[in-house]
Formats: sequence, C-alpha cells, structure tokens
Amino acid sequence: MTVREKIFAAAKGMRGRAKNCIKIARNRVEKSWQYQYRDRRNKKRDWRRLWITRINAATREHGVKYNEFINGLGRENVCVDRKILAELAVNEPHSFKALVDRVKHMRGL
Amino acid sequence: RLRLVVHSRVTPRAPRTPHTARVVLVVLVVCALAEMSNVIKNVPNLAGMRYRIVDASGEVLGRLASRVARALQGKDKPTYAPGAGSGDVIVVVNAADVALTGKKMTDKKYYRHTGYVGGLVERSARDMFERDPTWVFRKAVERMLPRNVHARETMRKLRVFPGREHTFDETKLVRMQLEPRVLVKAPDTRAPEGMMAFNPEAHARRVALVEKSEAARKTLGHRPRA
Repeated sequence: MTVREKIFAAAKGMRGRAKNCIKIARNRVEKSWQYQYRDRRNKKRDWRRLWITRINAATREHGVKYNEFINGLGRENVCVDRKILAELAVNEPHSFKALVDRVKHMRGL
Repeated sequence: RLRLVVHSRVTPRAPRTPHTARVVLVVLVVCALAEMSNVIKNVPNLAGMRYRIVDASGEVLGRLASRVARALQGKDKPTYAPGAGSGDVIVVVNAADVALTGKKMTDKKYYRHTGYVGGLVERSARDMFERDPTWVFRKAVERMLPRNVHARETMRKLRVFPGREHTFDETKLVRMQLEPRVLVKAPDTRAPEGMMAFNPEAHARRVALVEKSEAARKTLGHRPRA
C-alpha cells in the first residue's frame, strides 16, 4: 500500500475534497491524528466526568451529595472506583444504597 | 415657489384587506392553540421519559429554575448521558406567581440591544411579567442550560403555564419532588449497629448541636435560652 493509499483510507468519511484530493486529505488526516492523540488522553477524563455525574444523581436520590459521598467513602477506606460505582448505581441499586447508607450514618459520627 | 414637504417617520401601512385580516386571525388562533397543546414536538426521544409537573407559586425563581434546568437535562438520573435525549418533560404551572425576593420586581433588569445606536432596551422584571407571565421563568431556565447544540431541544421539553390550568393529561403527570429549603442540614448522628463513633467527644458535641436541649447547651457552653 502506498502512502497515498494509506492517507485516503484514513480520510474515509470526511467532508468534501478532504476525502478525495491528496493535498487537502493529507492535511486533514494529519490533523485527525493529532486529535486522536489528544483525545486518547481526553477519553479518560470524559468518562470520569460522566461517572461522577451519574454517581451524583444516584446519591442525591438518597439525600446525599457526591462530595459528601466520596468524602465518606474515603474516610472508611472503601476503595471502589467511580467506574464501578456508576455501574452499581444503574444496575445494582440495592448495593449502591448500602454504600450510601453506610456513608450517611458514618458521616454523623 | 416654496413647497412644504412633510416627512413622516412611519411609512403609512397599506389598508388591511378582508383577506389579510382573516389570514392574520387564523395565524393568531393557530399560535394560541399551539401554545396550549400538550404535544411536544421536534425533540429527540421521548420514549420512557416522565412528564413531571411542578407548581411554581411561592417558589423562589432562580432556585426553582436551577432544579428544573437540571431535570430537563436528565442530570438527576443515574442513567444520564450527554445530549438532549435523557431529560424529562417538565410542566410548570402558576408561573405568574413565582417569587422574587427583595426589590427585584422593580430592580431586576433585563437588557437587550436592538443593534441600532442608542438602542439599549432595559426592562424590569415587573414589565416582563406584565408582557408575558411565563417569560421570566422560561428565560431563567434557558440561561441555566449549557449553551450548546442541544439547548433548543431541551427547552422544547419545558412547558410553562401562567395559571393553574395546563393542557396535559393529569393521569400521566408525576409530581416533581422539590427539596425543602433547609439552611443548615442536621447531620445524621445515628450509628449503625455494632459501630462506634471515631471520636466520642466530637460525636457528643455533634449530637448536642443537633438536639439543642438545655443539657446539650450546657455541654456546649452556650448561653441559656432566655
């Protein structure tokens, strides 16, 4: 495969001349590689933000805010990470509620 | 020979023909009906979304708008996903009775610029309530949503009515839970079974603060209540 073929393969789905004309395609494909590099790092941040939003919503249903919840978990040395907490909140609500209750009670102590 | 030419600032309008009057009337009626319908249109996916109703009378404007904006985006659901698809439809009634604290009725100003020189329009909240009772609440919610592509679709899920009447099916509406406004939330001082306080003295102080009995006040060293 020539370099040009590789660039056109990477340029599939782009708009206008960027998918067909090599001079423009080369620029856009190089830019897309830069975005991919950057976004591999951003992906981790974006997922964490989403988990935090979901955990916030789930704990507020039980009367506790996200910051109080995480603080309580830290105090009790519960090392469950946010990814799993968000999963529990959606799929295992009773387990999640058990964690929230533990935090609610221990915070007052 | 002098001729007196009168320039009028407003060009005279063409006299309304009967046909134009009828068209205008039909358009007005259609607009009113569309406003009063219970159909939510042009919104990504309403399957499985709740229709929640909230009574705005007596609620503070911004605090209620914040709660509603959050619910419109779907951020109070553990299944939240970014985009306009996860929020519920919120129906707000009695929006004309939403409360503004202090002197905001006269002192809160809404500003617009028409683009022309000297065209800064400044209107007070009372003016806006008179012009359209639902405008103030809708504007508050609109300004609390993120300014992105989904803002318009999210606003379409909000229906605001000035009075108690609304056009939705009463049986399908779910009452929205608003947290009672507590300035200081008392901490939960109960210990689960078999567990002890980390710091017994600090725990005793916290319990005393919550209980506020006379004996408790003595332990805290507060002045006795008059």
